[in-house]
Amino acid sequence: MKTNRVLWTVLTVLIVTSLMISACGSSATPEPAPAATTAPVATEAPAAPAATEAPAAQPAQPAEAMMGPDGRASYAGLDMDLTGHTIRMANIGGSPYETMYDQIKLFEEKTGAKVETVFLGDGFQIDRYLKENYAAGTVDFDVAWNHTSFMSQYAPFVEDLNQYFTPEELAAFSAPIIKAATIDGALQLIPRHADISALHYRTDLFGDADLQAAFEAEYGYPLAPPTTIEQMQQMAEFFVAQGVVDYGTEFAGKEEALAGRFYELLVANGGNYFDENFEPVFDSDAGKMTAQWMKDLYEAGAIPSDTPNLLWPEVAQNFCDDKVAFYLEWYGWYSYFQDPASCKVAGHFDLARGPVGAAGDIHTGWAGAHAFSIPKAAENKEGAAQLIKFLTSEEIAYEEAARGSLPVRDDVWARIIADAAASDVPLDKTRLELAQLQVGTDFFTPPLFADWISFTNLWYPTLQSIILGDMTVEEGLTEAVDQTRQMMDEAGYYQ
Amino acid sequence: MTDIQTTETPIAPAGQTAKRTRGEFYRRQSRFPLMLIAPAVIIILVVVAYPMIYSLYLSFTPYNLLRPEKTLVFSVDTMFRNYGKLLGDRIFWRSVGNTVIFLAVTVNLSYFIALGLSQLMALVSRGQGIMRTLLMIPMMFAPVLVGFQFAWFFNATVGLVNNALIALHVIQSPKPWLIDVPSGMISIMIATIWMNIPMLTIILLAGTLSLPREVFEAAEMDGAHAWQKFRHITMPLLRPFTLIALTVLSLDIARAYDIVRIMTGGGPAHRTEMIWTYAGRLATRDSQYGLASAMSMVGVVLGVVFTLYLFRQLIKSRVVY
Amino acid sequence: MTEAMLKPRRRWNRRKTQKWLIDIAVVIVLLIFALPAIWIVFTAFRPGNEINVTPPVWIPKKLTLDAFGALFGLNPGYSSGVPVMEYLRNSSFTALLSTSVALAVGTMAGYAFSRFDFRLHLTVFLGIMLSRAVPGVALGLPLFLVMRRYGLVDTTVGLALVYTAVNIPFTVWLMDGFFRQIPKELDESAYIDGCGYWTAFWRIDLPLALPGVAAAGIFAFLAAWNEYQIASLITKTPKSKTFPVGLYDFTSQFTVDWRGMTAMSVLMIVPAIIFVILIQRRLTEGLTFGALKG
Repeated sequence: MKTNRVLWTVLTVLIVTSLMISACGSSATPEPAPAATTAPVATEAPAAPAATEAPAAQPAQPAEAMMGPDGRASYAGLDMDLTGHTIRMANIGGSPYETMYDQIKLFEEKTGAKVETVFLGDGFQIDRYLKENYAAGTVDFDVAWNHTSFMSQYAPFVEDLNQYFTPEELAAFSAPIIKAATIDGALQLIPRHADISALHYRTDLFGDADLQAAFEAEYGYPLAPPTTIEQMQQMAEFFVAQGVVDYGTEFAGKEEALAGRFYELLVANGGNYFDENFEPVFDSDAGKMTAQWMKDLYEAGAIPSDTPNLLWPEVAQNFCDDKVAFYLEWYGWYSYFQDPASCKVAGHFDLARGPVGAAGDIHTGWAGAHAFSIPKAAENKEGAAQLIKFLTSEEIAYEEAARGSLPVRDDVWARIIADAAASDVPLDKTRLELAQLQVGTDFFTPPLFADWISFTNLWYPTLQSIILGDMTVEEGLTEAVDQTRQMMDEAGYYQ
Repeated sequence: MTDIQTTETPIAPAGQTAKRTRGEFYRRQSRFPLMLIAPAVIIILVVVAYPMIYSLYLSFTPYNLLRPEKTLVFSVDTMFRNYGKLLGDRIFWRSVGNTVIFLAVTVNLSYFIALGLSQLMALVSRGQGIMRTLLMIPMMFAPVLVGFQFAWFFNATVGLVNNALIALHVIQSPKPWLIDVPSGMISIMIATIWMNIPMLTIILLAGTLSLPREVFEAAEMDGAHAWQKFRHITMPLLRPFTLIALTVLSLDIARAYDIVRIMTGGGPAHRTEMIWTYAGRLATRDSQYGLASAMSMVGVVLGVVFTLYLFRQLIKSRVVY
Repeated sequence: MTEAMLKPRRRWNRRKTQKWLIDIAVVIVLLIFALPAIWIVFTAFRPGNEINVTPPVWIPKKLTLDAFGALFGLNPGYSSGVPVMEYLRNSSFTALLSTSVALAVGTMAGYAFSRFDFRLHLTVFLGIMLSRAVPGVALGLPLFLVMRRYGLVDTTVGLALVYTAVNIPFTVWLMDGFFRQIPKELDESAYIDGCGYWTAFWRIDLPLALPGVAAAGIFAFLAAWNEYQIASLITKTPKSKTFPVGLYDFTSQFTVDWRGMTAMSVLMIVPAIIFVILIQRRLTEGLTFGALKG
C-alpha cells in the first residue's frame, strides 16, 4: 500500500510541524506592526475625527532635535529618574503613530524607564480591548489610549488627570479641548493631536467663469464655497446637473461616521441628539430638516448612490479622484490630497470653515482628539504621567505637526504657522490659520456619554432607512427616538 | 463501491442484532468504545457545551460588557426579558425573515446547480483531475475572502460587475448592487452559492459515478430518454447522497455569516440583516451580551432543528436503502 | 464508470466529436465558475496602477511580484505593515495542531461508532454532530468570556483548542462512514487470532481507513485555516491573529488595499491548493466511501 505510506508521512509531518511551530510560536515575540505605507497611511480611520490624522507623506522628523527654536528644551517628562520602572501601554497602531515609537526610545534613554507595549491595534480594536479589560478588571497597562469620541465609555475607569498635571501644564493645551475632555470635573485625558471637520472644495470648479455665470443665473447669488447647509444642497445639485462631477457632495453613510456627520449638521441646524437630561430630542424640527436634507441629496443623485456603504476611505478616495465638488472632511487627509502622486485633486482644492445651518451662527465642527489616560487600576501611575507629559510636550507636538497633525497646544500653533509661511504652497499657511480658528471656536465633540457608540449603532440603520426612502423622515425619527429612550432607560440614565 | 446492500450496517442498534450474536468481538467489552469516544466527547463538552450553557444563562440576564457588575444579575422575574424584547423587535423579525429566505434560496439553488454540474462532470472522460481541481477552487477560499472578493466585484465605483456592464453598454451609470433591493440580497446569495457548490458537486459526483450502470442500460433498452433516466433513475438513487450533501451544507451554513458581514454587514438600513449579523453587532459593538446571547440562542435552535431534521432523514434513508 | 455511462452513444458516428464537445463545454463552465478566483489571484500579480482604475484594465499588461515583496517587507521603503509572518505562524500552528488532534480523536470516535453498539449510541453521535451546527457567532461570544477567565484569549493554543472541537464532529462522521466500509470479518479474525482491540484497530482498520483519514484531514485543515468568526472574537494581536482575521488589516488603511489583500489571499490559498491537489483523488474516493454509508 504505497499511497498509505505517503499519507502516513503527510500525517506525521503535520503533527511534527505543528509541534515545531508551537515551539517557535512560544519563543518568538511578535513584533508590533511596522508602518503601513501602501496606502498613504494606516489608521483606525472610521472611528472618529482624530482617528484620521495626517497621512505620513513627509518623513518623520528625527527625534534628535532636543531644543526648541529659541534654544530651550521643550520636551517634558524627562527630568525624573525612572530607572527600574516599567511603563506598559495599550496603544493605537498605524503610521500616524509610528513616530511615537521613536520618541518613546528617547524617553527610555533619558529616564531609564522601560516602556512596554502590551497592546497595539486600530481604533476599534483598541476600543474593544480597553472596554473588555476595564470591564473584566484585567487592566495590564499604565498608559491607555483614549479619544474624545470614546472617552465617556472609559470614564469610570480612568484617573482624574488634574491630580497629575499642574494648572500651568494644562494651560498650554487648547482650552476647548481640555474643557470637552472634562467630565464631572475629572479630566479624562491629555490630548496628543486633534482634528476637526472643514469644508474641502474644488477651486477649479468654484473658479470656473461659465459655472459661476450659470449658477448665478439659476439661483440668484454668486457661486462661492457654500457657507450654509442649504447652499450645500443647491450647489451639490447644481454641479451634478451641470455634469462636471459625479457627485456634488458626499458623506460617509454608515456607522458612527454617519451618526456623527448627522450630529454635526444637526447642531448647526440648532438641534441636538439629547437634552441635558439625556432625553432624546432629535425628532425636533432641526432633526427633521437634517434628515430631509440627506434624503433629498440622495434622491437627487447629488451624493453617491452607494452612500450607505461608504466609510472614510471611500469618501476620501472619491474626492481624491476628482469625483466630488465639495464635502466636509478632516484635515488629516491634507498631505494625501496634496500629493499629485496619489490624488488627482492635488493642487486644485482649498479648505473653508464649516457651513452654518438653520441656527444661523453655529458652524459645523465635528472634532476629536487622540489622547492618553491613566487607568485607575494602573500599577505605575507616576511613570505613566511622566510618559504622557513627554508624549504631549511642546517639542513632540511640534514634530507631529510637521507631519500634518493638528496640534492641541497653543504654543505649537505659532511655530507651525511661522514654518508654513516659509512654504511655497500658500494652502499650507491658510489651512493652518483656518484650523486654528476652527479648533479655537467651532470645536465640538459628540455627546459625552458612555453609550455613544451603542447609540450610533442603534440610530444609523434607521437614518439609512430614511435616506434610502424605506421610511419617512417622521417615521424614522419617531422610531429612533423611542428606541433610544428605551436604550437610555435600560442603561440607567433616567433613575 | 457499489456493494451498498451487502455491507449495510445501520447505526440503529436494532438492525445489528443478528450480527452481534455471532461476532462477540463487538459485544465482549463495553469499555473500549467508550474509551474511544471519551476524548471527543470531553473536548466538545468543554469547548462547545460549557460555553453554550453559559450563553443560555447570559441570555436570561441583561449582561452588558460595559457594566458587568450591574448587569450580570440573574433574576427569575426578568429572565425572559431579552426574549420578550426580541419578540417585539421589528428588526429581529426582519432578520429572521431574511435568514429564512436566504437559507431557502441558497440551499436550493446551490443544490440544483451542483446537481447539474455533477451530471455534466460525470460525462467527462478525460482530465477528471484537472476539472475537480478547478471545481474545488472556491473550497480553498476562506469564506471571509469570498466575502471581500464579491464585495469588491459588486462595489459600485470600482467593482468588476459595474465596470463590465458599463463597458458592454448594458447599464449607463454604476448600479449600487449592495444597496438596492433586492440586488443586495442577491449579491450575497451569489457569493454564498459560489462557495457552497464545490462540496455539494463533489458529493453528488461521487454518488453519480457510483450508480449501478445496469439499471441505466435496462432503461435504455426500454427506450427511456435522458431526462426520464435522470428523473426516474438518477434522482431516486442519488437521494442518500443528496441528504448527505445537504447535511454537510447545513453544518457549515453559518459560515455564510462571514460573507454577509463583509459584503453588507446586514445593512444598509437592515435590508440584508440576518440573525448572525444582528447578534454579532449587538455583542461586539454595543457590548449587549445578554440580548445577543438570547438572539444567538434562537439562531442555534434554528440551526440545530434544521440539522437534526436532515440527520433523521439521513438515518431513515439508510435503513430503507 | 464514465465510459460505461457513455457506452450507448457508440451507436452514433459522431461519438468522438460529441465527447470532445462535452469535455470542452464542461471545462468552459468550470472556468467561468473559477473566474472570480482567478481574478483574485491575478490581481495579486498586477502592478498597483492597474487596479481600481477607471476605465478598468481587463488584461494585465505585466505581472509583478511587488505585492508579495511589500507583504514581506522586501521592497525598500515600502511595506504593507501587515505582520504576515506572524499570521502565517499562527494560522499554521492552529490549523495543523487542531487538525492532528481532531483527526486522532475523531478517528477513534468514528471507529467506535462504526464498530460497537453501546448505550445512547445514536444520542451521543447526534450530540456530537449537532455541536457542529452551532453557528460561530453564537459559540464565539460565550467562548470569549469563558476563555478570558482562563487566560486563553489571544493565544494560539486557545484557538487551536476551539478548532479541534469544531473539527471533531465532521471527522467523526466521515471516519464512521469509512470504517463501515471495512469488512468487520477482518477485525473478528484478528480477534480470534489473539489480537487485542487496540491492535485490531491500529493494525487492521486504521491502515485501511487512511484514505478516509486524509479526506477528513483536508476538511479539518481547511475549516481551521479559513475560520474567521471565532478567531475574530478571541484573537486580538499579531500574537494569535490568523490570516482570515489579518485580511481586515488591509481595510483599516485609508483606501482598501486590494492588491495587498489579494497577495495575502494567494498566500492563504497556497497550502489549501497543495493539500487538495495532493489528495484530490483520494478525497473523492473517500467521500464516496463516506457518502455511501453516511
